[in-house]
Amino acid sequence: MLDDIAIRVRQNIGIVTAVLLFTILYLLYNLAHPKGFSSAVLVQNGDEIFALAMLAMAQTVPVLASGLDLSVGAVMTMVGCFASYLLTGAGGTPLHLDIFGLHLGLGTFPGGVSGILLGIVVCLAIGALAGFINGCIVVYGRIQPIIATLATGAVYIGIALFLRPTPGGKIDEDLNWALTNSLGDFAATVHIFGDGAAAWFAPIAWIPVPFVLLILIALLVWVPFRRSVLGRAVYAVGSAEGAAYMSGLPIDRAKIAAFTLAGFFAGCGGLFLAIQTSSGNADIPQAGAYTLNSIASVVIGGTSLLGGTGSAIGSIFGAMVLRVISFFFRIFDIAPLLQPLFEGLILLGAVCIGALGVLRVKNTLELFR
Amino acid sequence: MVWTLRFTGLACVGLLLSSVSALAGPKVVSGPGADPGCFKPWSSETKFFQWDKKPGPYKIALVNGFVGNTWRIQMVKTAKAFAAQPGIKENIKEFKVVSTGTDVAAQLGAMEDFINQGFDAIVTIAVAPDGFDRIIRLADKNNVVVVPFDNVLDTDKVMMVNEDQKEMGRMSAKWLIDESGKKSGDILEVRGLPGNSVDRDRHLGFREVMEAPGNSFKITEVVGNWDTGTSQKVTADALAVHGHFDGVFTQGGSDGTVQAMMAAKHPFVPMSGEGENEFRKQIADHAKDGLKGMSYGQSPALVAIATKAAISALQGNVMPQLISIPIPVATYKDLKPGENYWPELNANFFAPNQFTPCGVNFTAPEIMSQSEKNTQ
Repeated sequence: MLDDIAIRVRQNIGIVTAVLLFTILYLLYNLAHPKGFSSAVLVQNGDEIFALAMLAMAQTVPVLASGLDLSVGAVMTMVGCFASYLLTGAGGTPLHLDIFGLHLGLGTFPGGVSGILLGIVVCLAIGALAGFINGCIVVYGRIQPIIATLATGAVYIGIALFLRPTPGGKIDEDLNWALTNSLGDFAATVHIFGDGAAAWFAPIAWIPVPFVLLILIALLVWVPFRRSVLGRAVYAVGSAEGAAYMSGLPIDRAKIAAFTLAGFFAGCGGLFLAIQTSSGNADIPQAGAYTLNSIASVVIGGTSLLGGTGSAIGSIFGAMVLRVISFFFRIFDIAPLLQPLFEGLILLGAVCIGALGVLRVKNTLELFR
Repeated sequence: MVWTLRFTGLACVGLLLSSVSALAGPKVVSGPGADPGCFKPWSSETKFFQWDKKPGPYKIALVNGFVGNTWRIQMVKTAKAFAAQPGIKENIKEFKVVSTGTDVAAQLGAMEDFINQGFDAIVTIAVAPDGFDRIIRLADKNNVVVVPFDNVLDTDKVMMVNEDQKEMGRMSAKWLIDESGKKSGDILEVRGLPGNSVDRDRHLGFREVMEAPGNSFKITEVVGNWDTGTSQKVTADALAVHGHFDGVFTQGGSDGTVQAMMAAKHPFVPMSGEGENEFRKQIADHAKDGLKGMSYGQSPALVAIATKAAISALQGNVMPQLISIPIPVATYKDLKPGENYWPELNANFFAPNQFTPCGVNFTAPEIMSQSEKNTQ
């Protein structure tokens, strides 16, 4: 039994390191914070982490199939720009398309609660579709994922810029307030559980909504996928594509599924970011920063960039480690121009701890696998 | 059951209380505001705010976005030096500076963190003109004064500090027209970071004057990102394609624009640009050859005025919602070494850094020669 646990820990040393590191750093942060361990601080951290955690999950799936997706930040940005038109609530939004000098009316997108729900579904579908297109180009166009997604990423940013040449738009205020607060505020805003005052609800009213969403998405989307044939095929493709092919696994479908899921997760991130900021913004530097940080989160979370090992849950912790480091600059006095240096040093340390296993390798040949 | 009911009642009272406190924040009052020499209202329609007086000294945070160009570094150093200056130091218990990069979620998180930590004021350069509704709501609820400056927000719910970017564009256009004495010709416009409110407003102001009735200028537009290297490259490209321009407006990285013209052996023409010391040196050196330059300045010292405004608001003074800072301008006619440019200094920095009416009295070389240690 203990042996079993020891083996499992050794096999998942990356994710275990990320979880431990996060726990230690987050405890320290809360101890030093004047309002540590309060719902307000948790809510603020949850809001800040959510979009990056989703992008980290998005990046994980193609990486497991040993391909990088450079378009996750772009998909996030594009979906956010769509959301700023589709989630306005109240009376709905008249949509029109001005292109090639034409002014095409597209009718009115519905408002109200049903309109918002429909808008959410449409936004997530757009994200998944963008990922599906990535997958098709990679599989049927036989183009290296890194190049294919670099190109489609530029296209998606182009669409985002077309939709929002300058930042703007509007998102329903109640939706913003409900999703970026604690469960108690959520219930009070959407008027359920006696406006959040039901007695049984009190013990969980402090939990931030973004954390609940994160756990739901992980449990309802990632875990079933991981256990499906397609999910296992993604891992197989990543560790040995030739062997996977010889074993008769659906390689093409696995790759397309991996990119589609990445698009879906990135879409979730974009949707939340738009709701959080109540607007859409085709911010190119921000899209690039999110793509890079998603790759960093994947590595910190213990997923090998070579593919085949790791998990999206690890990447969530990777994203949280990445974020929690910068939390410290708000508590402790560190010279502002030295902050990036500290951030880099801590990251380097984290990655080194994860790589300590290399020292125990008995045969150098194992390093080349 | 009774317990449940009582609990529900308590929760209702709690909700009522929270909805009452949600109405906190600044009161809209009538002017005039305090210290009008420093805090000048933007226009006659500008609203005035008044916060409840809080006992000092205060905890103030500067939440910067992007860091890594000269302007931002000079801004951070100015902020640190200003907070340590006598007269200001006594009012500040704690002054914290963080830079969050170009990530809006991180900036929102940092601002919310400082609100939760019980800071009294947050001075910030917003990474986007939209998206801060939630923070404004939380700040008002907790009576925290939020002061965006430089890249301000598209809202009138917070107090903000800036120079009139549209006016900078208009001034630049007028300068080119007056100095060339023509109403037509080829003009090069080097723009800044796309998607930014500062870039948008300078461009709109410039076009407003250049395209006024009676003028027929042909304007070539390139994007220089306010960066010396980029600006030099795109100017060189534009010169290669178009051959000759009668006037140049460059939003930033102005010294790069001039470098490109010199490298292409383009004759010097009337120019308007930013407040870089290098650019002012170039104007002083080549004015006699025809580089009739005007240099306006978006000063990094805006951060000092924003900090001062935050302190004044916390002291319960009446403040304009939008504070206009005069645009520091120098032309080839009034450049004075050691006063508005420094010919012996090679380091790149933004020359305008003094605003005497606001008590911001240190010069740019003083700020930039301080090592990081001295400014802590």
